[in-house]
Amino acid sequence: MTGSPHADDGGVAASDSGDVAASDSGETDAATDRRAAADGGTASGSEGRMSDLTAYLRERPLFRTLSIAGPPYGVLVLFFAIPLLAMLVISFQTGRIGGAWTLSNYVEFLTSETYLTVVWRTFLISVEVTAIVVGVGYALAYSIVRFSRRTTLLLLLVILPFWTSYIIRMYAWINILQSGGVLDSILTLVGLPALELLYTDTAVLIGFTYVWLPLAVLPFYASLTNLDGDLIEASKDLGAGPIRTFLSVTLPMTINGVVTGIVLVFIPTFGSFITPRLLGGTNNIMIGMVIENQFKSAFNWPFGAAIGMVISVVVVLLLVFATRLGGGLFGTGGDAS
Amino acid sequence: MSLLRVRGLTKEFGDLTAVDDVDFDVEDGEFVSILGPSGSGKSTVLRMVAGFEDPTRGEISLDDVEIVGSPPFERDVNMVFQDLALFPHLSVAENIGYGLKQSGVPADERRERTARMLEMVRLDGYGDRVPGELSGGEQQRVALARALVNEPALVLFDEPLSSLDRKLRQHMQGELQRIQAETDTTFLYVTHDQEVALAVSDRLVVLDDGAIQQVGSVEELYERPASRFVADFIGDVNVVEGRVTAVADEAIGLDVGDGDVSVPRGATVGDLSVDDAVDVCVRPFQVRVESRDGESAAGATGAFSTTGVVRSRSYQGSDSEYGIETDRWGRLSAEVRSAAFDVDDRVTVAWDAADVHVYGRDGTPSPDGDGGP
Repeated sequence: MTGSPHADDGGVAASDSGDVAASDSGETDAATDRRAAADGGTASGSEGRMSDLTAYLRERPLFRTLSIAGPPYGVLVLFFAIPLLAMLVISFQTGRIGGAWTLSNYVEFLTSETYLTVVWRTFLISVEVTAIVVGVGYALAYSIVRFSRRTTLLLLLVILPFWTSYIIRMYAWINILQSGGVLDSILTLVGLPALELLYTDTAVLIGFTYVWLPLAVLPFYASLTNLDGDLIEASKDLGAGPIRTFLSVTLPMTINGVVTGIVLVFIPTFGSFITPRLLGGTNNIMIGMVIENQFKSAFNWPFGAAIGMVISVVVVLLLVFATRLGGGLFGTGGDAS
Repeated sequence: MSLLRVRGLTKEFGDLTAVDDVDFDVEDGEFVSILGPSGSGKSTVLRMVAGFEDPTRGEISLDDVEIVGSPPFERDVNMVFQDLALFPHLSVAENIGYGLKQSGVPADERRERTARMLEMVRLDGYGDRVPGELSGGEQQRVALARALVNEPALVLFDEPLSSLDRKLRQHMQGELQRIQAETDTTFLYVTHDQEVALAVSDRLVVLDDGAIQQVGSVEELYERPASRFVADFIGDVNVVEGRVTAVADEAIGLDVGDGDVSVPRGATVGDLSVDDAVDVCVRPFQVRVESRDGESAAGATGAFSTTGVVRSRSYQGSDSEYGIETDRWGRLSAEVRSAAFDVDDRVTVAWDAADVHVYGRDGTPSPDGDGGP
């Protein structure tokens, strides 16, 4: 289900490269530069072959478009569309792959109060995580952009955790949060009561916040860097205090970055099962864990697939809603009137 | 009491003193320009008045109230930014009404005052567009309307016209003067462009290297520049190096190479004593050029007169400007009515001792003492 935004990205990228190919080769600066670079890199003998190829492609525009746009589309179809379709087919079967056709998987899921409670719970946790990450991440990005000269270093520090595996970082948090762990030891040392945070909701929130923070800081940073500092001064000059300026200039001017950050955090949190499993223990069930169980322990693939499909639809609907809100999220144009 | 009073204003950025002990006043209803080359600290002065920078030392008072330390949004001052800083996500009307909204003006009054502003800057009917759809000149008008709508005591301009082409810039200068008169507002305008400053201002503050060089009306600055820098910066000037040979009540004797000349006491700035090195400045339009036949005038000592060869000429409509390599003082430029001379012609060059300005040189010989620009 986390594939949906990537599908969108891929589609845009593919059509972009199609456009470049469609505009007559050599007309644009970029194309000329690239050609010059290619020429410089090849031996003089292959230069003739290169121009032969260009000429060949120029006479066959359809083939040229296919040869450029084809590979990305191929990857998308092979590794995204086909598996998704397979999931859809399986979700209408009974008990196992190739079972009798049925709607019972959907009926069972959508009428079960237990499962719907888990979905609602997952939604609430995702909203909480998103709110915390967006708040902290925006403040972090804002202070990096506005108050520091060591921007590159600070950004590097923000994305540095990506060098370490997700799982290892989660185990590090187990170490910190468990009863008698690093956190409790320090608290005891300064005479405060131990918290024993591991296997609580708080631990899950901490874990998620830590993991997704860099993902949100990057789009926030990008949109804040593009914000002209003069606009903030103009707003203050015209009588708006810091809070009014933030709400009427800074936030509206960076709303696309904010929405991108929200989407990047909300969607993977909704489908996540590793963080709640490791940090939340057994009584903190999220829907991702239910799906994982259906595939790995219960071996009821059709039921797992049905839940996956429902969740995917919900998430895609939320994504569409968010895109409307932000206006031109994935470069769909500036028609946010 | 003047509207804006600046005293001892100093701004240091680390070791660099960007603004050094600046004093000036702006009277109510005046159009004052701060003129200086890039890096002279003029924008920093403006930003301190607006409240975007805190002075290291000094006082700024507006209407007799000290404003240093109060944030920009509490100052009765609005600014037109260099790149205008219009809010791209708001319509033209919303941009103009922004300041009114912040001060809690009700929506219908806001609409009315915004409409009046649009009319004043001649943009009626543009209210619903966004700034990105407007031309450069139209955007300038929106920025101006936005700064005026709050009816501030003082409007600051940070070279907003510098991005326009010459024709449009001249038009906007006229508009600025018209709007200033109509709104009866005080304008403080910062620019490096002497042409703009001379055209629009009542008074000028000339700044160089963070320090004030001269404050005065356009005429004062042009006709009685206080230093060689001001003479050079406001209009063109020829410079001849010399040395003081005699000081009397009425006149001063100068050795300007190959003989002495006497200049009136009034042409000198500051105290001079015998043996001081000086720069003698004269405007190109005060230089006379005659053909070589007038042998009698040439080479006469006791006057500013020499012979030379025309090296360049440029026709400028009513005048012609000649670059002349003189035998006595190197290259000089002259602006004369006649277009009778050609490159390589030998000519006589002269000017009246009453037209020069003499400035003492502070020890260091000037590197380009051989002539004007």
